[in-house]
Amino acid sequence: MARIGVFICHCGENIGETVDCTKLAEVTSRFPGVVKSVDYKYMCSEPGQTLIKEAIKENRLTGVVVAACSPRMHESTFRKTCSEAGLNPFLCEIANLREHCSWVHEKSEEATNKAIDIVRALVEKVKLNEPLYPIKVPVTKTALVIGGGVAGIQAALDIANGGHKVILVEKNPSIGGHMSQLSETFPTLDCSQCILTPRMVELAQHPNITLYSYAELESLDGFIGNFKVKIRKKAKSIDENLCTGCGLCTTKCPVKKIPNEFDENLSYRKAIYVPFPQAVPNKPVIDRENCTYYLKGKCKICERFCPTQAIRFDQQDEIIEVEAGAIVLATGFDIKRADFFPEYGFGKYKDVIDGLQFERIASASGPTLGEIRRLSDGKIPKKVVFIACAGSRDPAKGIEYCSKICCMYTAKHAILYKHKIHDGQAYVFYMDIRAGGKNYDEFTRRAIEEEGAKYIRGRVSRIYERDGKLIVVGADTLMNARPVVIEADMVVLATAGVASPGSEELAQKLHVAYDQYKFFTEAHPKLRPVETNTAGIFLAGACQSIKDIPESVSQASGAAAKVCGLFSQNELTRDPLIAVVNRTAPPLYSTCVGCFLCQSVCPYQAIEKEEIKAKDGSVIKIIAKINPGLCQGCGSCVALCRTKSIDLLGYTNRQIYAEVDAILNTL
Amino acid sequence: MDRVKQKARDLLDSNKVQVVIGYEEGTDGTARPVFIMDSKNIDKLIFNDRCYHNLAVYLTKVEVEKIGRVAVEASLNTLKGIVKLASEGQFVFEDIDILGVNRNGELYEFASLDEVIDYIDQHPVEYSPEEISLLRKIESMTREERWEYWQEEFSRCIRCYACRAACPNCYCDACIVDINQPQWISPTPDALGNLEWHIIRAMHLAGRCVNCGACAKACPVDIPLNILNLKLAEEISKNFGISEEFLLTNYPLAIYDPNDKENFIK
Amino acid sequence: MDEFEPKIVAFVCNWCTYAGADLTGTSRIKYAPNVRIIRFPCTGRIDFMFILKAFARGADGIIVSGCHPNDCHYTSGNFHARRRWIVFRSLLDFLGIDVRRITFSWVSAAEGAKWADLVNQTTAEIRKLGPYTSYHKISKPEEEVIYG
Repeated sequence: MARIGVFICHCGENIGETVDCTKLAEVTSRFPGVVKSVDYKYMCSEPGQTLIKEAIKENRLTGVVVAACSPRMHESTFRKTCSEAGLNPFLCEIANLREHCSWVHEKSEEATNKAIDIVRALVEKVKLNEPLYPIKVPVTKTALVIGGGVAGIQAALDIANGGHKVILVEKNPSIGGHMSQLSETFPTLDCSQCILTPRMVELAQHPNITLYSYAELESLDGFIGNFKVKIRKKAKSIDENLCTGCGLCTTKCPVKKIPNEFDENLSYRKAIYVPFPQAVPNKPVIDRENCTYYLKGKCKICERFCPTQAIRFDQQDEIIEVEAGAIVLATGFDIKRADFFPEYGFGKYKDVIDGLQFERIASASGPTLGEIRRLSDGKIPKKVVFIACAGSRDPAKGIEYCSKICCMYTAKHAILYKHKIHDGQAYVFYMDIRAGGKNYDEFTRRAIEEEGAKYIRGRVSRIYERDGKLIVVGADTLMNARPVVIEADMVVLATAGVASPGSEELAQKLHVAYDQYKFFTEAHPKLRPVETNTAGIFLAGACQSIKDIPESVSQASGAAAKVCGLFSQNELTRDPLIAVVNRTAPPLYSTCVGCFLCQSVCPYQAIEKEEIKAKDGSVIKIIAKINPGLCQGCGSCVALCRTKSIDLLGYTNRQIYAEVDAILNTL
Repeated sequence: MDRVKQKARDLLDSNKVQVVIGYEEGTDGTARPVFIMDSKNIDKLIFNDRCYHNLAVYLTKVEVEKIGRVAVEASLNTLKGIVKLASEGQFVFEDIDILGVNRNGELYEFASLDEVIDYIDQHPVEYSPEEISLLRKIESMTREERWEYWQEEFSRCIRCYACRAACPNCYCDACIVDINQPQWISPTPDALGNLEWHIIRAMHLAGRCVNCGACAKACPVDIPLNILNLKLAEEISKNFGISEEFLLTNYPLAIYDPNDKENFIK
Repeated sequence: MDEFEPKIVAFVCNWCTYAGADLTGTSRIKYAPNVRIIRFPCTGRIDFMFILKAFARGADGIIVSGCHPNDCHYTSGNFHARRRWIVFRSLLDFLGIDVRRITFSWVSAAEGAKWADLVNQTTAEIRKLGPYTSYHKISKPEEEVIYG
């Protein structure tokens, strides 16, 4: 038999002034199953809580209803109180008399009647409550970081320095990402390589970090604390243990005309190559698509010259299986390339380039060794037009968002240009200047006021070539949309930042949500920006939305803090308010018929298949099973299930029926 | 029909299947399902317009499973039922032999599930003029008239569940009406219980129904259940822009489009 | 004669509308006392049978409310719920059930005032429609006939 206690709080005058608490206590004491009903001035106070605890013990209560403020306020307080008195905390329910009754109604009989109804519903619900126990899930204290750009590097280092093992997977032959391509960085103009490479080296040498470069995620199983990861290590065609990175092979390789991705195709590399001098790891890989041996069956010059016999032409891709407790996604971004901008002659005119190409040209280690020169004829450009928002904020191009970093790097480009070519003139076409950030606006103003960049608010409609000049046709909207024509020597497009290629496929492998632009989606746009909706998978950097370096690094540290928090305990404790599939006696075993239509409503991929087997191992039936490590308790599957085989603990069908019955049962 | 019989005979004689489910002549000019386990009875098999039972309904029955491998004489509607059931994981398509029959009773053979789906796509569902006109008639009534109309129709319901038994998609071991914790539906054939049952039945089939009409034909008191199914099929196609082809292997109420339109949410 | 006081049950999600109704309280905005709230984790949890059950138990009107599209705490519960409501509502309407008595709404945790308006409008609307007699009539058990 149920023995329910009802504890009515006056909340000073907040409830007591409007609702007749004495009458409420008197009426509720007559509800079937209620053995104790008492009102008190402040139930959440120390004496109030003591009152509840003593009543639980004295009356051997099997359930408690505290009629007070919103459960969002004090549910956890009162559940803890019950727990301290030996009553399972999930046998306590809160009737919201303050926010939902006394504060929104005038003192009246109706208010008291409503309070009676609210309490009645929860008394009937609590009679059906079951004791629940927090779910414990073991944690593998190894983190997997996917992507070795600045965000991935930061996250890996932070986690590793926190004392945990990290596995970093990078798809390119070297870590470093886009940041390693940059010349200098805003707003301080420090050299990108100079600040990044020490971090890259630290990562490679860190005892807690295992680096798999030239590798990709193959598949992912499991759940928070217990991921099972398969990594595909692509064949580098060298034995990394033997290779000393002397570089002789690269010098001797006869295939010379392969566009160099690191230089944004502005220079050439060999078929056996290290992407850039400071690469980590600093050992070459063979590009099998361009290597003469793989194409024609002979050559092997590199093998002949290798002093340590490290070349392995027959090397295969290797699948490595690891376990991880948490995953940080840091796969970065890409930019829109030539084919996206036919109106600007991008791809047609050699001197119309994108922002990353300008970075390489301006970089001391770039194809021009840092001298700004035209790609067409090698001349020094005296007039350069920078076009911000090339593709961004342009619904016609299908990209409605702001790429965020372009305003700043365009200002940087204008400054770098002026520093290198003193008599040159930079023009910047822009829509708005978005320079929100520490020292950002000052930096932009420096470009305009000190470095003499001419900012023109308006868009460029067309670019065409005439007598070796690029004719840029635009409008100045601050001058009544006056047409502007500039005869430029070079045009730099701040092309839109986009999700990195393969993001969608990766998201599907990880069961992580992504938006229409293929950027990964955070669990909550404000309050959970570094988590995904899949527990245990976190986000860092531009894979979520385009970010600059400080933002990427901050988010990476945020993600690392989340991972370290997760790893600070040996077991995860999860709220037991989750869905469960019923089990019944044979021959039915469960009312679940295994249609698995519920699988696609689950936002967390928590619904698995469970085989019910006979003693001889044969499968009798396949039914749904909810993974308690993944279920967050939304209950969408419960409402969908036709046979009502799934129920949600804490909000069971019986409990809700009882509430509906009771709340309308006004006599 | 001869080729259908020949194939059925071969399957039984070679012991590739243990039972052939098809149609035979019933009493009073009706056709009825038949289970043939001995090839000497194969000549009982018929196919004509009277063969409306959706034979897919038997494929999820434990009793049938126990006999062994099944070959089924499959009309268009039965094929739809088979595809739907396979998509809901109730059996593996390859575990069943299909004796496809077209309208004229000629044998149609399928090498794969995809071929069956293609065949179904080439034969979109056709509603009879009577069905469409009844649907439009009810839609044009006032709310009170609709209430009265359905109350009158449902008042005849004796809760025999013939509609459930005839439907290939009503394969649950424990139907919601049999669950009493909580008591979802009033079990007695009164006005409330009947209304709730028919709402639940329609909702559980919304987006899954193959529109074979077997439920309405099975109803001993002639409640036009197919009109409820038809109404929801129309609503789903209208609101979610979902094709019949997509519906065959997908459940529209377990997916969503962030841009789903409604005009009633305040 | 007493004026008819509608009985209204509200099925709301915990994260948006329940919190929004809390905000109505914190803001001390007054509204009609006719509504009784039942809390769900998510609109995705709301079984259409609960709506029928409420009518059968004597509700004259029902409010179903959750997070605005894209705001769902669980990402997609409200989207699934919306699809279900679209189909369910058209079925009820087709059966002659008075769908004007079911108010579907999105009320966010910040929309305390909207919650008050919603309750007041729904109460006024149901007051105008009167008690849901036709449904309540079929919901009462028939009187037992004693033979003898």
